[in-house]
Amino acid sequence: MALGLLFAVLGLGAAWQAASYSGAGGHYPMVLGLFLTLCGSLVILRAARAPVGAARRLVDAPANMARALAASIAYVGLIVPLGFYTASALLMLCLPLLLGFRRPLYTLVVGASFIVLVWLVFSVVLEKPLPAELWSASRFGGD
Amino acid sequence: MKITKIIVATAMLAGVAMPALADYPERPIELTIPAGAGGGTDTSARKLALLLEEKLGTSIAVLNVGGGGGSVGASQFMQVRPDGYSLFATWNSPLTTVPQVQDVAYGLDSFTPIASTSETAYTLCVHPDFPAATGEEFLAELAANPDKYTYGNDGIGGTMQLAAERIFQARGIKAIAIPFGGAGETLQNFLGKHVDIYGGSISPVLPYVEAKEAKCLLVTSAAAVPALPQAAGLESLGLGDKETLLWRAILGPKGLDQAIVDKLADVIEEAVNDPSYVEFLASKGEVPNVVKGSDLGARLQAEFDALAIVSRNLGLGK
Amino acid sequence: MDFFTNAVLAVMTAGPLAAMLGSTLLGVLIGALPGLNPVMAIALLLPLTYSMDPLVALAMVAGIYNGSMYGGAIPAILLRIPGTPASIATTFDGFPMADRGEASKALKIACWSSAIGGIASALALMTIGPVLARVTLFFGPAEYFWIAMFGMASVGVMVGSDPVKGVMAAALGLLIGTMGIDSLSGQARFTFGQTWLLGGLDLIVVLVGLYALPPVLQLAEKCDLKGLSASELKLAGVPFAPGEIRRLVPTWLRSSLVGIAVGILPGAGGNIAAFLSYNAAKNASDDPDSFGKGNPQGVAAAECGNNADNAASMIPALTLGIPGNVVAALVLSALMIHGLQPGPQLFHQNPVLVGGFMIEMLLTSVLIFLVGGAAATRVFAQIQRLPGVLLVPAILVLMCVGVYVINGRPVDLWVMLAAGTAGYFLEKLNVPLAPIILGMILGPMAEQSVRRALLLSRGDPLELLTRPISATLAIATLGMILWPLVKAFRRRRG
Repeated sequence: MALGLLFAVLGLGAAWQAASYSGAGGHYPMVLGLFLTLCGSLVILRAARAPVGAARRLVDAPANMARALAASIAYVGLIVPLGFYTASALLMLCLPLLLGFRRPLYTLVVGASFIVLVWLVFSVVLEKPLPAELWSASRFGGD
Repeated sequence: MKITKIIVATAMLAGVAMPALADYPERPIELTIPAGAGGGTDTSARKLALLLEEKLGTSIAVLNVGGGGGSVGASQFMQVRPDGYSLFATWNSPLTTVPQVQDVAYGLDSFTPIASTSETAYTLCVHPDFPAATGEEFLAELAANPDKYTYGNDGIGGTMQLAAERIFQARGIKAIAIPFGGAGETLQNFLGKHVDIYGGSISPVLPYVEAKEAKCLLVTSAAAVPALPQAAGLESLGLGDKETLLWRAILGPKGLDQAIVDKLADVIEEAVNDPSYVEFLASKGEVPNVVKGSDLGARLQAEFDALAIVSRNLGLGK
Repeated sequence: MDFFTNAVLAVMTAGPLAAMLGSTLLGVLIGALPGLNPVMAIALLLPLTYSMDPLVALAMVAGIYNGSMYGGAIPAILLRIPGTPASIATTFDGFPMADRGEASKALKIACWSSAIGGIASALALMTIGPVLARVTLFFGPAEYFWIAMFGMASVGVMVGSDPVKGVMAAALGLLIGTMGIDSLSGQARFTFGQTWLLGGLDLIVVLVGLYALPPVLQLAEKCDLKGLSASELKLAGVPFAPGEIRRLVPTWLRSSLVGIAVGILPGAGGNIAAFLSYNAAKNASDDPDSFGKGNPQGVAAAECGNNADNAASMIPALTLGIPGNVVAALVLSALMIHGLQPGPQLFHQNPVLVGGFMIEMLLTSVLIFLVGGAAATRVFAQIQRLPGVLLVPAILVLMCVGVYVINGRPVDLWVMLAAGTAGYFLEKLNVPLAPIILGMILGPMAEQSVRRALLLSRGDPLELLTRPISATLAIATLGMILWPLVKAFRRRRG
């Protein structure tokens, strides 16, 4: 029900936005948007007519899922301010703890070797620039 | 775009505060390319980066930021700190053409021109049975048959299209532009006779000229191109001032220290004229062309102004 | 035959052989890490090859390309995370197989299928390539439109139990595909004034989020604190049962043909080849309902199809000078750096180099067969020994680094997270995810080609149907949509 509604609204919004685009470049997304609305409405209709059963459980273990998701969000948020490797190390150490893993030495060894591996592949072999570490020289105009 | 301005302002402050030059560069340089891997700009820049690494004695990391005809990479680059450790290797289109059709957050003054590296002309080619044998006849045939012929180009409002339309407008020609994803796709549709005219860079079509499957009658440079003897240069048609080229350059962000600009420009000039790079350029039908510093800025501005008129006449303006 | 004898002699030297072995293994690694793709690695390698023996350089390209196409299957099977867009179809049956303890068998089938697809493709490149290349020229915008439609029709096999939701997902994918600068009119669509959206949403960014985050969150929910012991891994070599190979042969043949056909067309890639092969296998099967529930045929079809695309995609590049994808463009520029002019004369200019590259495409496919299986089970599958709770942050770090290095901008990470969270709930609500990706891949191709075709026909839509190839493709698309219905109808009566 909510799902159908979401898609229907999304489709309508897209169609409305597309109405301001000129020419064929606008018709196509508008048709797509309206089509999405149609599909969404169908889902709503079906949900309304179906006998109301037991609500499905969306999440099996809400606490763990929420912890993991929150940690991911915090991690992505910290990548730029802290630097990529600092944030990653933090995630590698904290998330298992959050999920109830109580063998810090094991976590530390796996985390450290994994980060070194990522560093070797991406920074050494591929030379890809990643967000600079909080404590690195390049943060301060290179002195 | 207020945030951008603040970022640029802080970035400039940091740039001023930086101890300049003495031992620049002392850490790796990041080179942004506003196109995906594998294209002409990408391969030229990566090859040049190898030479620059040697001459500057530091490593250069390449970052490809494609999309929006180069505007995504250019917008992202204008926010970097002007400390000389972030450079931008581009072709002319994102700076002089794209801003004509897209609402972009940057202008020519968002960058510090360092040096151009190479250039090449675009060409217009037809099938062997096309009723024209010279550039003059070609333009006459197009002028006599408005909206009859289709020409493939590198994308709407792209430099190739504007280069062609600049000539067409001077002669009152109307032809139908079919935008493709790049010269390869245009060539495929030209060889399959889905479009009448190939419009794009020279090197992909060259083997078909030798095999007599394509007849190139026009190049968009003032002078003729030795590899295409049948094609007329614009000077010979009295259109010398309508020259539009594809060229590549390296720029820095706004507010880059002049001493760094000069140092980089000299090193780039040296690298571009390295025999191995000249040979590499020749394989792609390009020639070295180094215009440094403020002269490069003037060149960008002149091209920008000329293309603004063309795109306004085409009704492409924003 | 002289053409290949000289080339074989040149390839069979220490340099190219070592390069092929190393780069095939590297390719498997690159394919297996979500977010890392062969293009990135080859682009990086290429400038180094300017000063290198060209046959060694091309050996590395061949190895990375072929190896990564297979490597993508490993996380697809073990974790339900496709390593590349082309291995989405591998998750459909690969993960259910792993789930019921047949991971080793699924990996083995993926390895064999990849190798066979790659070998078939390389043979096509070596023999009929130049002839076929000319055929591709008949494909103009109208024909490309129908190819995209044909691909969209394969959405039928992935909609799962709920067709409405499947079609809805496809429409969403198509809509996402319209974001960014419209290349035919130059106007920005759905960019909301954000410059980073001008290029649209990056396929890999959405793919990593949509496909990798839900399994990671589920792994966190399971909260496994122990990891599997060696005996629980069940990775001992499983021999094929008698007759098993024979049953896979028709699928391999069919998928190889599909993959080669898709590969030859510039612009259509391994992801489309995998979907179409999977669809063809399902349509040909006596028991289509078993697909998606761990049918080995599904794994074989997808993996064979995506590797069969590889060498074939080099055909238009080597014979016409038209690069059909980024890897082909990189190969072309490598050849040009060594003084070759891509185009019809390429084969005569330097037969040793061109023939050598073809043989390298063949040999690296054989190498997958020899070393690919061991790489999967001895290295990658071992990570399952780690407790699940340690895998969760590790995969998250990999996802982020992979996504970040594509464009070097933090906002992509948020797009990835948002796509992943949406994917998690959509999946729980029975909305299939594959149609979203399919829509994103095929939508731009369909829209641009139909609008180009209309520009060429001066607005007359009939021309989409009246040309011989486009009419054939249109009928085939219709057939593709109707065939499962006809089959279901027959079965009900029979």
